[in-house]
Amino acid sequence: MNLAVEVAGIRLKNPLIAASGTFGYGVEHEGLLDLSLLGGIVSKGLYMEPRDGAPPPRIVETPSGLLNAIGLQGVGIRAFVRDVLPRMRRHDTVLLVNVCGDTVEEYAEVARVCDDAPGIAGLEVNISCPNVERGGLAFGGDPRMTHEVVAAVRRATRLPVIPKLSPNVADIAVFARAAEEAGADALSCINTLLGLAIDVETRRPRLGFGTGGLSGPAIRPVAVRMAWQASRAVRIPVIGIGGIASASDALEFLIAGCRAVQIGTANFVDPGIHERILDDLREYLGRHRLDDVNAVVGTLEYPAPARRCDERGPGEPGGCP
Amino acid sequence: MPANRIVPLVDGEAVGGGCFLLTFQHEETAREARPGQFVMIKAGVSAEPPLRRPFSILSVDAERDTFTLFVKAVGRVSGALAAMAPGDKALCLGPLGRPFTLPPDHTEALLVAGGYGIAPFRFLGVELRRAGARARLLYGGRTAADLPLLERLSGLGLDVVPVTEDGSLGERGLVTLPLEAYLDRAPGPVRLYACGPEAMMHAVARIAAARSLPAEVSLDPWMGCGIGTCLACVVRVQGEEEERWRYRCACTEGPVFDAARVVWPGEDRSRARLAAAAGGAR
Repeated sequence: MNLAVEVAGIRLKNPLIAASGTFGYGVEHEGLLDLSLLGGIVSKGLYMEPRDGAPPPRIVETPSGLLNAIGLQGVGIRAFVRDVLPRMRRHDTVLLVNVCGDTVEEYAEVARVCDDAPGIAGLEVNISCPNVERGGLAFGGDPRMTHEVVAAVRRATRLPVIPKLSPNVADIAVFARAAEEAGADALSCINTLLGLAIDVETRRPRLGFGTGGLSGPAIRPVAVRMAWQASRAVRIPVIGIGGIASASDALEFLIAGCRAVQIGTANFVDPGIHERILDDLREYLGRHRLDDVNAVVGTLEYPAPARRCDERGPGEPGGCP
Repeated sequence: MPANRIVPLVDGEAVGGGCFLLTFQHEETAREARPGQFVMIKAGVSAEPPLRRPFSILSVDAERDTFTLFVKAVGRVSGALAAMAPGDKALCLGPLGRPFTLPPDHTEALLVAGGYGIAPFRFLGVELRRAGARARLLYGGRTAADLPLLERLSGLGLDVVPVTEDGSLGERGLVTLPLEAYLDRAPGPVRLYACGPEAMMHAVARIAAARSLPAEVSLDPWMGCGIGTCLACVVRVQGEEEERWRYRCACTEGPVFDAARVVWPGEDRSRARLAAAAGGAR
C-alpha cells in the first residue's frame, strides 16, 4: 500500500505533516513519538531574531476549538539552524521551516539563511499569522503584498516555497493565484480564523493580545471549503490544514483536492495522533480496495448545481407537478 | 522519560466538597515521578478539544504502577475525570515538569499551601520524610471546607498547622501570619515551598526575599500541551545573570520555580535593573 505523496517536489513518506506552532521545533517530541512516522514537520514560525511573543493569557478554549495569540515567540532562525537542526536531521522525516518577517526583506533574509543550511526541505511562508503587529496577516490579506512577499522569498532561495494562506479573506482563490504567479511551489491552506473571546465579568478580551486565531474542529468545514476552492484555482499542490483530529478528517481534505494535510491543534491533545491517523488511513484504503493514497486526491463528487423544478424537462424526475 | 498513554482508572474516591482522589495505571509516572511534577490528562481518548489539563501528582505507588491525583470537579475536564468509573480510559502524558528541590541536610522544609494548592505537598511530605528532613506544613484557606485532605496528611511526619480566614479551623487569618511568626522563632535554616493562589505565592516570595530565604513556588498558568510546544503557559522569569526577564514555559522550565526569579504581575524588574545599569533613573 503506497502512502507516499509528492508536494512541491518534496517526497513525503505519507501525507501527514505536523503543523507549524503545534509541534515546536520537533525535538520536543523526541521520546514521545517515533518522528520517522511523520510525513513531515513544519517548525514553529521563525524570524531573524528571537521574539518574546504576546503577553499571557495566550490560549482560551472555545466550542470545539482553541483561540490562541502566542505572537510567534521563537528562538530566531540562526539559533534554530545552529542548535536544533543538527539534532532534527537525525530523524528520517521531512523538515520544513515556517518563515516569518516584519518586512518583505526579512522574509527573504530568513529564506537565505535556510538556503545555506543543510537538512531543510522547504519553506512555508507565514503570511497569515493574525497575532503580530506587523507582517503576518498584513501581507496575507492583500493579494499584491502576497505576490511581493512570495516573489521575494522565491528570489532568495532554491528551496521549495509554500505560502501559508489566510482564511480571513473574501476570496481565497485570488490569493492562491497571486502566490502561484509569484512562483510558489505549493500552498498551505489555511491558517487560523481571526476571533475574539470576551470575559463578561471584566469586559476585557480573554487573551492578553486581544484578538486571536481560532483552530481545531470548529474551523474544519471552513478549512475544507477554502482548501477545495484554492486547489481548484491553481495548478500547484495544496496542503490542507484545519481541525484534523482523525483519518476521516484528513481524508476530507484529500478528497477535496489536497495532496497532503497538516495536523495542528490535535497534537496538543494527543502527541501520538499521527500514528493513530496513519493506522486508520491504511484501514480506510484497504476497505475501499485502494493501494495508493494518491488515488483519493481530488475525487470529490460535487453535485451539479440544483435546478428549479420549472427548469427541468417534461417527464424528468423532480419536474413540476 | 514522560510517556503518552491511554490508561485506565484503577480507583476513584469522593472525598467531599466536590473533590476526588483518582488513581490511574501509568508505569512511567508511577516509577519516575518526583514531588512537584504533574501529568496532562483528560477522560476518554479523543484528540478533539477539550485539551488535557495539568494535575499535580498527589502520590505514586511504584509497586502497583499507579499514581493518584487530587481533582476538584469544577469544569468540563475535571468533571469528566471525576465521573470516570474504574476501567474507563484516559489520555495521560507524564511525568512532566521540574520538581521541587529537596532541602540540604539540617534545613527545615516549610511548606505553605493554599486550598487546592495542597496537591503536590503530600508527595513532597513523603519524600521529605524519606530524606529525614524536618518539615512543617502551613495550610490555609478561607474556611474549614477549603482545607481538603487535611485528615489524610497525618502519618507523614509533617507538623500541620491549619489556618482559616474565618477562624473556622485552626488559626484565624491569612496563612502568611503564622508563617512570619514561625520564621521569627525558627531554630535553624529554613527552605520555603509554596503552592496556592498567586497572591499567596507572591506574598510568600516577598517574605522569603525580605529574609533572604530560599523559596520555591509551583505556578499554575493555563497550559496547552505540557511539553513546551504550544508556548501558552509562559511566565516571566529572570535568570540570575540575565539582563531582563524571558517568557518561560511553566510546563518544561517549571511548574516549580525559584521564587526570587519570578517577575510577578505588577512588577517590572528588568526596567529597574536596566535603569540602574544605565546610571540611575533618567
